[in-house]
Amino acid sequence: MAAETAATGGQVRRTGPATPYLFLLPYFVVFTTFVLVPAVYGLWISLHDWDYLLPGKPFVGLDNYKALFDPGSAVYSFWWESLSATGIFTVLSVPLLLVIPLLIALLLNRRFKGRTLFRAIYFAPYVLGVAVIGVLWRFLLDPNLGVVNAIIGGSTPWTTAVPWAWVTLVGVTVWWTLGFNAVIYLAGLQDIPRELYEAARIDGGGKWSEFRHVTLPGLRPVLLFITVNTILVSANMFGQSYLITQGAPGTETRTAIMYIAQVGLADYKMGSAAAMSYLLTACLLVISVIVFRMFREKDK
Amino acid sequence: MNLSRRHVMGLGVGAGSAVLLSACGDSGPNEKVTGGGQNAAPAATSYDGPNVALAFWNGFTGGDGPFMKKLVDQFNTEHPNIKVSMNTYQWADYYQKTPAAVATGNGPDVGIMHVDHVSTNAARGVILPLEDLAKALNFKAEDFSPPVWNAGVYNNTRYSIPLDVHPLGFFYNKGVMEKAGLDPEKPPTTNDEYQAALETMKSKGIQGDWVTPFEFTGSMQFQSLLWQFGGQLFDEAATKATFGEQAGVQALTWMTDHVKNGYSPKNVAQDADIVAFRNSKNAFNWNGIWTINTLKEDKNLQWGVAPLPQIGTQKAAWAGSHQFVQFKPKAKDDNKLAAGKVFINWISQHSIEWARGGQVPARAEIRDSAEFKALPEQSAIGTQIDYLHFLPPKPGIADAMATVVTAINEAVLGRKEPAKALADGAAKADQLLEQNAKKYGG
Amino acid sequence: MSRVRPVAWYTILIGLSFVFIAPLIWMLLTAFKTSGEATRVPPTVFPQEPTTGAFDTLMGNDQTPVLRWFLNSVLAATGQALLVLAVASMAAYALARLEFRFKRLIFGMIIATLFIPSFVLIIPNFLIVDRLGMLDTLWALVLPGAAGAFGVFFLRQFFLSLPRELEEAAVLEGANSWQIFTKVVLPLSKPALATLAVISFLTNWNDFIWPIYVLFSPEVLTLPPGLDILQGAYTINYPVIMAGALVASVPVLLLFMVAQRYVIEGVSRSGLKG
Repeated sequence: MAAETAATGGQVRRTGPATPYLFLLPYFVVFTTFVLVPAVYGLWISLHDWDYLLPGKPFVGLDNYKALFDPGSAVYSFWWESLSATGIFTVLSVPLLLVIPLLIALLLNRRFKGRTLFRAIYFAPYVLGVAVIGVLWRFLLDPNLGVVNAIIGGSTPWTTAVPWAWVTLVGVTVWWTLGFNAVIYLAGLQDIPRELYEAARIDGGGKWSEFRHVTLPGLRPVLLFITVNTILVSANMFGQSYLITQGAPGTETRTAIMYIAQVGLADYKMGSAAAMSYLLTACLLVISVIVFRMFREKDK
Repeated sequence: MNLSRRHVMGLGVGAGSAVLLSACGDSGPNEKVTGGGQNAAPAATSYDGPNVALAFWNGFTGGDGPFMKKLVDQFNTEHPNIKVSMNTYQWADYYQKTPAAVATGNGPDVGIMHVDHVSTNAARGVILPLEDLAKALNFKAEDFSPPVWNAGVYNNTRYSIPLDVHPLGFFYNKGVMEKAGLDPEKPPTTNDEYQAALETMKSKGIQGDWVTPFEFTGSMQFQSLLWQFGGQLFDEAATKATFGEQAGVQALTWMTDHVKNGYSPKNVAQDADIVAFRNSKNAFNWNGIWTINTLKEDKNLQWGVAPLPQIGTQKAAWAGSHQFVQFKPKAKDDNKLAAGKVFINWISQHSIEWARGGQVPARAEIRDSAEFKALPEQSAIGTQIDYLHFLPPKPGIADAMATVVTAINEAVLGRKEPAKALADGAAKADQLLEQNAKKYGG
Repeated sequence: MSRVRPVAWYTILIGLSFVFIAPLIWMLLTAFKTSGEATRVPPTVFPQEPTTGAFDTLMGNDQTPVLRWFLNSVLAATGQALLVLAVASMAAYALARLEFRFKRLIFGMIIATLFIPSFVLIIPNFLIVDRLGMLDTLWALVLPGAAGAFGVFFLRQFFLSLPRELEEAAVLEGANSWQIFTKVVLPLSKPALATLAVISFLTNWNDFIWPIYVLFSPEVLTLPPGLDILQGAYTINYPVIMAGALVASVPVLLLFMVAQRYVIEGVSRSGLKG
């Protein structure tokens, strides 16, 4: 490819016009096949009464979406209850999952004996699948027979009553996935050039100013990633509720995804489930646009 | 979503659409089962065709798996021209996997389904009618038991042949009863005896009957009580939920009163009732026949099992049933269909082996045999055969059942009064039944 | 980095470790109990009658080829991790460092797909995988998972945070984009690449729902749906569940510890020791 050297907007460029697209090509092949096409297909499904095994898949236009806003429909109250459950969980868990892993990453980003071991320990719960941690904690937190209540005394209904069930779901999730975010923070911290810390030290700032003026700005792109990803993962929470509380009491801790899975994969109403999925997607897009704005990337 | 596979068990029942039937009508099995001139063996008892291999899928992942494997091996030995290979998956996975496999032509030939999944899968074109097999073998309802036999019929067409029934039974911990001064050989059989026993245990500081608010087995207990009080979950045509009426309220109130009166702790979590039972902290437990195998692992536990006590005005018990089905193939293969029927019939005839795995055989002749009577626990639970109840064969009935599970949960956990919880659930169920009637054209 | 008082330091670390690891130790001990003892109230800490019965259940059945499943899981997870690294790093480099038309639009579109719940994609993807003839093969596990937007977004953010000076120096020496990508950006990104590899591997390793749909034969199954077969349908057999979890998680934990070396290696990349 013809190499050209040009400085545009402060950026050094030395690429042929096709180069960026060649870099994108391999990813785009798989992305189009397994994400884009199914996603568009999903939108199409959401406009139908759709069951992949039934011959008739009647077109219903926006009815599946309208039902979500119609208080008289079969899905209305379940859907909004589950969406608010997801909201509660996300609001409670995201701040904890942003701050605590950062503290742990800073703690571990030092040179000391055994740090590989400690990193592995903090990461260990994440290695387990949700099926295992779900069964494990339901067992440990059983209100009447569990080890936790045996140790602390009393019979706190950790899994069967709100608000305790929320404490459990958030607590277990933080315990389980904290290592994931901490590892990404750690990788991000490696990208911050040492020189910057040395400069800060020479300038005579304290630890706190070093953190504010070197660490945080250096982590900005990684922090954006972690924030968006954590919101996303929290909004997709499903297994913990399904296994630990089973949505109890009633359906109060049944999350949006849990309800979507019920409607789509158990009741075989894929059209309605797809409509819910895309409404949830829209909510998340709005939130993420706000987050992107907050992080406003200025290094363009 | 991995999840407690058993939860999916309740999901998906059927009834439904004539549209669909016509869609798969042409691939319906025919009677090319050769009997051979003078021997005139009835169709479906022998197969003389070329060698065939059959894939047999099921969800027997527990202690029952090896018993079925043994039967399959024996069948293969006796039928050199049929080779059955058995694949086992968790039930929940199985019910996700089989429709997907069938849709793409990767499905098995023969399988097992819980009776409440049969009509949904029939309506969705996953399984084939077995009408001809039943006719060829001259099966009648009395050869099994009318409720379990009729549960396999959807839209006037038979889709499944019963293998077993697995009812709820009344498990009692003899050690705890003894400690409370009760006669461990005399479990309560009426409501008066039941309440008296609970009161006696309470006076000794024992909460004797933990009520679980979850589907396993709280919802099964509720259904049994509902039927005992003369109620029904749904009306005849399954277009309207009736579980919120008088009988349902009585049934659920009976359960919540346990908590109110201190016979059960509050906030019983999933499985805590049976775990407490194994630890002799709980005396009574309404649980499935599958619990026999679990309890037998505890060598020191003294326990017994009896038919459910009669709390309401009549006898009734919840039960599930494993039923044989044939899956819709990509291309029709008469030899496989014929061989599959031979296999189904043979296993059914040999289901005494299956009973040893912890089940009640569906076939009356085997249930009445001395061999079955020699299995004390199974036969005790098996005596309930004539008053077992099954869900109406409507496709998607499980969607509506989910509202029952929620109502029980809300009431037992004290979030709502029983009447209110059931009324709210019934209103939701009505909407879902209407939706499904539209979807499956019922 | 600054020195801290070692005693206080290790006290905090070990205290925290306990919170994380105690439930896992519980799991380990449970795997060696009998099923009755596992649900005993009050619980026993150490197995009273230690038994490997749960492991025998896992391993001792020709119907359930656990080792085969293990191998399948390794193949699928490794395949996916490598594929993600390859395709995502190239795309992320273009999105982070190259200028082209519709860049923001393309990035926006990729990110937007992150927000679509994966449940809605299962059935369409199942039909696509069937069309491609990949049902009941490990390809069905490798390819769709590698298409997610996660890896691209992740690496783009890391590439953005790399200092530009080294790349600019390479340009002055006459390197083209491919050379800059392979000789400068990728070596600088070892911590991020190692992290992404571990995450991708793990995501695939623990994936549960998707394999249920696309794999049918016992000899093609991976560990999660395979182990599930062994965890009896109605029973509450905690030792078997925990033993299965151990079999599935210990190798991944070891892998993580190995990968950690690369993450740490990144620290000294520019010749500056902490």
